Amino acid sequence: MMALFFTMPSCTKLENENFSEFIAEDFTPTESDLPRITRAAYGDWRKVLLLWDGYWRVQEVSADQVVIPARPNGWVDGGVHKRIFMHTWLPSDPIVNETWYRSYAGINNCNRVMFQLESLLDEEEAAPAIAELRALRASYYYVLCDVYGNVPIVTDFDVPDGYLPEQNTRKEVYDFVVKELEESIPYLTEENNSETYGRFNEWAARTLLAKVYLNAEVWSGTPQWDKCIAQCDSVILSNKYSLEPDQKNVFVTENQNSNEIIYGISIDENYTTDWNAFDIHMQTLQPSNQATYDMTHTPWGGMCAVPQFIETFDSEDKRLINNFIYGQQYSSSGDMLYCTMGDLAGEPLAYINEIPSIDASQEIHGFRFGKFEIAMGASNILNNDFPLFRYADILMMKAECLLRTGYSDEAAQIVTQIRERAFPVTSGKAAVTGDELLQGSVYDYGVRDNNSTTFEGGGDIPYGRFLDELGWEFNQEGRRRQDLIRFGVFAEKSWFSHSPEGDYRELFPIPLNVMDTNSKLQQNPGY
Amino acid sequence: MPAVIIRTKLRQQFHKCNLKHCKSMKKNRMMLCRYRCSWEKTLRIMKISLVLLVFCGLTLSASPTKGQNQSVTLEVENATILDVFRQIEEVSNLGFFFKNDQLDLKKRYSLNLENASVEEILNQVLDLNDYDYQIVGENVVVTRKTSGFAVSPQQSSVSGTVTDAAGEPVPGVTVTIKGTTTGTITDVDGHYELNNVSEDATLVFSFVGMKTREVLVESGVINVQLEEAVIGLDEIVAIGYGRMKKADVTSSVSTVKSDDFVKGGVRDVGQLIQGKVAGLTVTSPSGDPTGNTEIRLRGNTTLYGTSTAPLILIDGVPGDFNSVAPEDIESIDVLKDGSAAAIYGTRGTNGVIIITTKRASGIYDAKVEYTGYVSTQQIANELDVLTADDYRRQINEGIRSESDDLGASTNWLDEITRTPVSQVHNLTIRGGDVKTNYLASVNFNDRKGIFLKSNKETFTARTDINHSMFDGVLKVNFGIISRNIKYGTTGDGYGFNGYTYRQALIYNPTAPVKLEDGDWYENVGAFNYDNPVARIKESEGENKNQWSRVNGNIVFNPFDGMSVKALLSYSKYNQTRGYYETRNHISTKRSGLNGYGSNGAIESIDRLVELTGEYQKTFDLHHFSILGGYSYSDNDWRDFYMTNQEFPTDEFGYNNIDLGQGIEQQGTSSGIGSSRSKTNLIGFFSRGTYSFANKYLFMGSVRYEAASQLWGTEDPWGLFPSASVGWRISEEPFMAGVGFVEDLKLRAGYGVTGTQPSASFLGVATLGYTGQVNINDKWVQTIGPTRNENPYLRWEEKKETNVGVDFAFINGRIGGSIDYYNREIDGLLWDFAVPVPPNMVGTTTANVGVMSNKGLEFLVNAIPVRNSDIEWSTTVSFSTNTNKLKSLSNELYQTEKDYFTTGGTGEPIQTYTHRVDIGGPIGNFYGFKVVDVDENGKWIYQDGEGNLVSYDDFERSDENKQVLGNGLPKYYASWNHNLRYKNFDLSITMRGAFDYQILNFERMYLENTKTTQYNRLQSAYDPVFGKAVLSNEVDLEYNSYYIEDGDFWKIDNITLGYNIPLKGDTFKSFRVYASSLNTLTITGYKGIDPEVTASGLAPGNDNRDKYPTTRTFTLGVNVSF
Repeated sequence: MMALFFTMPSCTKLENENFSEFIAEDFTPTESDLPRITRAAYGDWRKVLLLWDGYWRVQEVSADQVVIPARPNGWVDGGVHKRIFMHTWLPSDPIVNETWYRSYAGINNCNRVMFQLESLLDEEEAAPAIAELRALRASYYYVLCDVYGNVPIVTDFDVPDGYLPEQNTRKEVYDFVVKELEESIPYLTEENNSETYGRFNEWAARTLLAKVYLNAEVWSGTPQWDKCIAQCDSVILSNKYSLEPDQKNVFVTENQNSNEIIYGISIDENYTTDWNAFDIHMQTLQPSNQATYDMTHTPWGGMCAVPQFIETFDSEDKRLINNFIYGQQYSSSGDMLYCTMGDLAGEPLAYINEIPSIDASQEIHGFRFGKFEIAMGASNILNNDFPLFRYADILMMKAECLLRTGYSDEAAQIVTQIRERAFPVTSGKAAVTGDELLQGSVYDYGVRDNNSTTFEGGGDIPYGRFLDELGWEFNQEGRRRQDLIRFGVFAEKSWFSHSPEGDYRELFPIPLNVMDTNSKLQQNPGY
Repeated sequence: MPAVIIRTKLRQQFHKCNLKHCKSMKKNRMMLCRYRCSWEKTLRIMKISLVLLVFCGLTLSASPTKGQNQSVTLEVENATILDVFRQIEEVSNLGFFFKNDQLDLKKRYSLNLENASVEEILNQVLDLNDYDYQIVGENVVVTRKTSGFAVSPQQSSVSGTVTDAAGEPVPGVTVTIKGTTTGTITDVDGHYELNNVSEDATLVFSFVGMKTREVLVESGVINVQLEEAVIGLDEIVAIGYGRMKKADVTSSVSTVKSDDFVKGGVRDVGQLIQGKVAGLTVTSPSGDPTGNTEIRLRGNTTLYGTSTAPLILIDGVPGDFNSVAPEDIESIDVLKDGSAAAIYGTRGTNGVIIITTKRASGIYDAKVEYTGYVSTQQIANELDVLTADDYRRQINEGIRSESDDLGASTNWLDEITRTPVSQVHNLTIRGGDVKTNYLASVNFNDRKGIFLKSNKETFTARTDINHSMFDGVLKVNFGIISRNIKYGTTGDGYGFNGYTYRQALIYNPTAPVKLEDGDWYENVGAFNYDNPVARIKESEGENKNQWSRVNGNIVFNPFDGMSVKALLSYSKYNQTRGYYETRNHISTKRSGLNGYGSNGAIESIDRLVELTGEYQKTFDLHHFSILGGYSYSDNDWRDFYMTNQEFPTDEFGYNNIDLGQGIEQQGTSSGIGSSRSKTNLIGFFSRGTYSFANKYLFMGSVRYEAASQLWGTEDPWGLFPSASVGWRISEEPFMAGVGFVEDLKLRAGYGVTGTQPSASFLGVATLGYTGQVNINDKWVQTIGPTRNENPYLRWEEKKETNVGVDFAFINGRIGGSIDYYNREIDGLLWDFAVPVPPNMVGTTTANVGVMSNKGLEFLVNAIPVRNSDIEWSTTVSFSTNTNKLKSLSNELYQTEKDYFTTGGTGEPIQTYTHRVDIGGPIGNFYGFKVVDVDENGKWIYQDGEGNLVSYDDFERSDENKQVLGNGLPKYYASWNHNLRYKNFDLSITMRGAFDYQILNFERMYLENTKTTQYNRLQSAYDPVFGKAVLSNEVDLEYNSYYIEDGDFWKIDNITLGYNIPLKGDTFKSFRVYASSLNTLTITGYKGIDPEVTASGLAPGNDNRDKYPTTRTFTLGVNVSF
């Protein structure tokens, strides 16, 4: 009777059915799988940039515009946010780890997909896809070159057991990125349409190459201003992109159709659902602001603008008005909002441009970030796409190179063009001259918190005024650290509670876990 | 045991049994003193009905009772005399006694008698020329007249009386003619008579609890005195795929019988043997009624967490601690060392726990037992947080800002706790005869926790039927267990969310539970800060699971010594669960869910086939046995779940989940899920034993096994051998003069066991759907790698050497064992950090670790006092364990790093708590060391080099962290007592663990004075190091100040019972008792309970979200009819 319960199994066969994954060896992709495979490597960019402790935070919180001070509801977290701001990060800190692992995940994905394509398609068929993947891979190496400098270049997927990659110098990584981009550009599509959106078409690749050349002096020791201009010019001459009449349009919720975006990272609250997929608004707004936007989630309130940076703005600059949230806060129905925690619980919630110190602040302290439109009813994930490269950047890269190569007036024309969006025609403040661009920065550098005050100023910064222009235009876009390093400010100046820690901090250390697993790697100098 | 007698009566009766005598006898003999009860037959019918009910689902009602002298009606056709007896038994309360070889079964009867007296019937049926009968009370003893039966001349009849050491007659002793199945049992006067015994025969007298005696037939009268058996020696213990006399066992096996179990409101099987087995650590790390005990044998065996649980076999079939009710268990055997467990191959590393359920045991049992108790609990140790008054005082003193006073006074812990009343009822019925017998039990366990809505209801029913055919050549066993569990949930899919308890500690005591308008008071701005009452009241859920097992086995004994067994088992687990958070739940305010519903279901099917063959042979002084077998088991697991939100109403909870609009609005990427996995395990095994003169003992076994988890690797098959030897010194001639030594045995064994990875496909590279990307304005799933391959993946292998001594002295008044073990676990799985690049992901699961555990176990049983009024037995056990991680690399990947960090403080401190150094033990706390505070209450640290550094100058880097203690106890001890004084019995179990540390999370988080948004402990204002209150400028931090010594000694279980002397006929025994669990703890530890989790790689972390452990008080009865 009991035997009925059983169909006697074959007596020594091991169960091998997998219901959720493919066994890599047995997987043969179909035609429709191909885009799923090739595009998988793009998904990593959003993670590199936006997930917790990602590249965005590396670039912004280590610089002079963004700070995460202690708040009544926390934000101490064992000092991690303070350490990134104070340039005292440890090789074991997540902020050091994440960019490495996420970038290499992207690189490994590129290598794997190329390996698969090469075995699936003939060379000619594969060429455009391979070129696109090489450009994409170069973009991840661009991040690594920027943050860690001396990283191993790995281009093979199929490596022998126990293979440990050799370290390359920052110069070698720079050369590699340049070479990869130059070689792949001829195969990339010139099209700019919804098909190519969020992919490396020729123009996205050229923008990336321009960016690499822009930083060539820092990364390779040799400036490449002219080469940068050449790449910018080819993008400009393609006539595929244009400036939005209002900068706001680039950052609205439905911004995927903006003609200013050259390479956008697609984000959708229903599909890109990792926790922290894109939540600058959650990190910056105070809890009461939930009512302002009728958000589904209560924001966590913490991150805000460094007061000295806000002070550099012209009060009429639309970018100050549009990109920041300040003053008394109201609910969507117009009711005044109040603080709910800390010493000011019950007081009106009105953001002021003042923070006592990185170690202590109340809900009202610091202007908040609102460049990316926060849609009414937003969830914990913003639906806005993230413009990694945009046309204004092409123009400003060209302007910077012109300025640095002695064409300050030509540079000023471009900068003026950008500024025209920010200032009402009547004010006359849009126009800027070559001479002005050659001046120092208006940023009033120096330690400025309730513990100590020093005055360093920014007047001594070469092309400092141009750096200010970059700050006004591109704040909150995950790039300030790179700009500060190029202008020699990053490891030299003090701001808010931060004071310089040493030049070596311009590079991040190789993460401790990585050092521990690859004996062939040398730690970056100073760490 | 051979079938010695055929009895049609379902019970044995000894109506003359002397009550006084019974009481002075051991318990198992007391069962023989049976008293008639007038409704016994009703019960018998009920028993049958119940069996039928279980199998057929029919409803039968008990027929009315019949008096003794009532006349009966009998109608039979073509029936044997046996059938007639059965019929008479059915309609009367008489029972028949006869010898199986004396009835003429060929003769057929057809009778139709109405309202005849029993005697009339018997006279008619029993041809009085052939049979004699005698009615003694309610027994009809039928004998065949010798004149009518040709007795061969060399045979004679033998009779006599069996007495015990005190000279009292012993009823119920089995008397058999050696080498035959012929025999009888002694009557109430200890008297027996056997006919047709050949003159060269040997009689075997056996009785449970007595030493078996063999006597050569030399005369017609043989009186025998039986001695009490030395404790343990004749005890049968379970070993893998068989049973063995304890005296013959050569490996480390511990047995705990039901008499010795921890009594009172135990939570599961684990707690029954808490403190009873040396080297086996059983902890109850939480008070959650849905939680289980945590069990560990001989230290940590895994890094990866592959499997820390021992293999638990319930009557030979794998299960868990909840598979059967604790009340339904007869004995528990623990196979501790490698040589014992190796026959279970890949599942043996953490030991094997063999649970034997209560059985119908043939001729002696026919009874109903009821066990029931009620219990209540309290928090073992309530933590003192600041009250509303404290808050207001602090505001007056200026320590706290005025905005902290929210106007009310709330004791949050009181708001979410209650005085729970739990109850357990267990009813067991067993009966039958030696050919066919049965057991049925039902158990209802309604357990309430200290927190609101925290409960668990379990209903378990079990039946077990044995049938023996063809004179025992074929034996069939059939069993069914059905278990239903239901519990309320205030977390999605699980019982009580410990986070709610945390909220009760940290919530502002001046906050009102509700606002004036009836809404819950909430402050959504503060992180991790929810009104605990609202969390409970605004969530509602229920988990129901049903587990059933059908198992059967057939044993075929074709000839003496040979047995072939087939075991089949099919078990199925089903869970359905539903959970709902209302629109008033914090999840709406914080995350905009507007009602959150969740439904899920799990189905898991386990099948097992096991074929074994065993042959045993004794010749001269040699005894050997050989066993071979094949085992196939598989599991098929499926689950489904769906979640939804945006409900228009709370009315229907999770029961109308499509009402929510969440899936439409939020997209389908979350909210629905399903998964499935299939695994199997295939093993071949063999064991041989050999003993010479009961002195020199040998056992060897081997298992060859493969598990599907290793599919795709180079070698999924593993070989697990073992060998052990024993030398019973006490049997040697030179020991003959040493009278006080009953038993002395040296044992040594070596065995290899394994642990399989818990997840499948770890050895092969896999691809999965890894996320969505936007292609041409459409979101599509992308395919990406999910795992690095590792074709070299194999079992974790434990190689264990065990040396031990078993001893029993002075008539068994002192006995025990000492064991030394050394286990080396090789090829420990670990998510080995690999470089990225070139690897796709940062870790590869590989066999890289080597770990050793060494220790000594010591257990002594003693009976210091034993006389007719008082008996005191006591057990002391002691065990040690030293653990060391010897290596964490293999040929392929060598790491630079000679340590890894593990454990976590959780937010907002966000750091690891433990570090494991290669060459060091598991469980080291690793962090900043504080040695003092300055006058402002700021820490003074000792840095890595031993310098004292002030708070502001201290660099908080990994280099300045150091080992702060270790969370694994080095020593465990227990001391248990059983006292009996007349009708009272008292048992006390005590146990302790020594030389280890605990990280007190509550203090770490709630003694900080800088954190203003949360409440804190009163002790936050105690001067640190006796100097100054901690400065309110000091951040929360994990440092040595919060690491405390955990050493404790617990008086755990105290049970006082009283056996009510019985006058009437109704009860066979009636015991009432009162009991407490976790009664008293002597410790310096300041947290709730120093008995914290010792498993995993971060032992000793007393987590803040832990459901507090409780103290339990119980009142109960054990009754048998």
